[in-house]
Amino acid sequence: MLLQTVGLCKRFGGLPAINELNMHVHKDEIVGLIGPNGAGKSTLFNLVTGVLMPTSGKIYYDGVDITKKSPYAVAKLGIGRTFQLNPLFGDFTVLENVKTSFYLHPHTSMIEIFFSTRRHRRNEAFIHEQALEILEVVGLQDVPNELAKNLPHGYQKMLGVARALATQPSMLLLDEPLGGMNPGEIDFSLKAIASMRAQGKTVLIVEHNMQVLDICDRVVVISFGEQISEGTPAEVRADKNVIATYLGGGKRC
Amino acid sequence: MKRRLGQHPDAALGAVLVAIGLALPLIVTSRHWHTTLINILLFLIVSVSLRFIYLSGQLSFAHGAFMGIGAYLAGMGSKWLHLPAAATFVLGAVGAMVLGIITGYPFSRLRALYYGMATVFLGLGIVLFISTGGVWTGGATGLSGIAGVFHGATRYYYFFLGLTTVSLLIMHRLEFSRIGTNFKAIAQSHLVAGSIGINERQCRIVAVAIGCFFAGLAGAGYAHYNQILSPKSFDLTATLWILMYVLIGGIGSFWGPIVGTIILLLIPEFFRKLGIYSPYVSGAVLLLVVYLLPQGLVGIPSLIRRLLAARESEALVIAGVPEAPLAAETVTDGKESDQ
Repeated sequence: MLLQTVGLCKRFGGLPAINELNMHVHKDEIVGLIGPNGAGKSTLFNLVTGVLMPTSGKIYYDGVDITKKSPYAVAKLGIGRTFQLNPLFGDFTVLENVKTSFYLHPHTSMIEIFFSTRRHRRNEAFIHEQALEILEVVGLQDVPNELAKNLPHGYQKMLGVARALATQPSMLLLDEPLGGMNPGEIDFSLKAIASMRAQGKTVLIVEHNMQVLDICDRVVVISFGEQISEGTPAEVRADKNVIATYLGGGKRC
Repeated sequence: MKRRLGQHPDAALGAVLVAIGLALPLIVTSRHWHTTLINILLFLIVSVSLRFIYLSGQLSFAHGAFMGIGAYLAGMGSKWLHLPAAATFVLGAVGAMVLGIITGYPFSRLRALYYGMATVFLGLGIVLFISTGGVWTGGATGLSGIAGVFHGATRYYYFFLGLTTVSLLIMHRLEFSRIGTNFKAIAQSHLVAGSIGINERQCRIVAVAIGCFFAGLAGAGYAHYNQILSPKSFDLTATLWILMYVLIGGIGSFWGPIVGTIILLLIPEFFRKLGIYSPYVSGAVLLLVVYLLPQGLVGIPSLIRRLLAARESEALVIAGVPEAPLAAETVTDGKESDQ
């Protein structure tokens, strides 16, 4: 198991956002995490990446306890993420956003950067090439010099993915990557995400758009911070619990 | 690819400024003007280093006090321990840096306004500490009897010209390297910066350490030139003036604090006849900048360019060409100034 949560709880005041959640993600899987608004999906991401501290419970990544690690330490272990409301380095260009995200690999010490050693210059050249490649993967190769804040929403989402890819993660957490995209962009993004598995990346996606189920191996459904269903996309689609949560329970017509 | 220093677009402008600096003592010979010029050189280091800390998203209100730490450490080292000037400069700069790191560590938990408030009180605390330091710091009456380094203001001037040039070159290089990029990344979004593995606290403390080092260095220069120190020179008002140099010049550009420091320190000299009313001129400049130049004085060239472009496009509109590109450009500029 690559990622595992054990009895994870998070309360805001008295309100449980995540309640006794036990879930796991295997290596090389694409797992969809779905659930209605306020189910705790984004909270789960923030707990895993150290932005929030859980009230109780444990989170393990690749056998390491990451429950109390800070965001940068979690990123260092190989978890890349995007954000739902998509903050970005707005005053940087698209290319600068991606190049800045090559902070971990290859990492150069400040002394070497200051004196611009040969190793640093080699790293920078390498980063430049890699950044252009990543832009091609996410379809932003035509706008490298645009300021990030001036991009349309769908492009900003993909820039978020590009930034996460630049940290060379073994696991990607994508928070509503399809939000605000048009159908053409959605098709492109789904293909891009599916292709990431071929490069040995494990993906956990939070999404409202049900098209995402097509590329998932397994789907976890949560509601009010608790897991209510789990299985293949087909199983989850047929699950009475899930239908009740999404469409309301009671009599069926 | 990273540019070599000589190829940076700022290199030519910097070279011109240094050349002017080298020639100035040949043109202005009065001792009074030398003091003004030396003051400008020292405060250039302080204002540029204040903006350097700001790059990482931290606006410090204790920067004048850190300059005071450097000044008093150098002054006391010279007066009580009879250290040579080379040692007192190191003592002042490193001392301010160490205090910056010690206080920067807890403060790096705070952001924006809360960080600013904490540094206000840090600055007040430092000045209070100095003015109650008894015989060691000279207390509220000040510390006198600090050894001079050179004979004659011209030598001081050229020494400080070199010191300022080197300091500004170092900070320029840091800002436009990956180190500065990481600082700017944190300032824009600490969430995103964390998600790509940037250690926010470490970066912020490094920014404070470097900024305080240069403030302390300038403070040591101040102590040896004036040979007498008063805690009042480093209080909150002093910090606010330094902040004013940065803001009026333009906090968004490396040249901002340079332009601001030079102009605001020259205003009282040119309006000497107004006596104690000369700060009103500075105030008027501040108001004009706030109303007309949201990017600071360094925004003047782009304002002129925009006005020229507007006139041109007006002519084009009359000729039947749409003015869409201009509208887009204006919107972008407005947004930038908000940052």
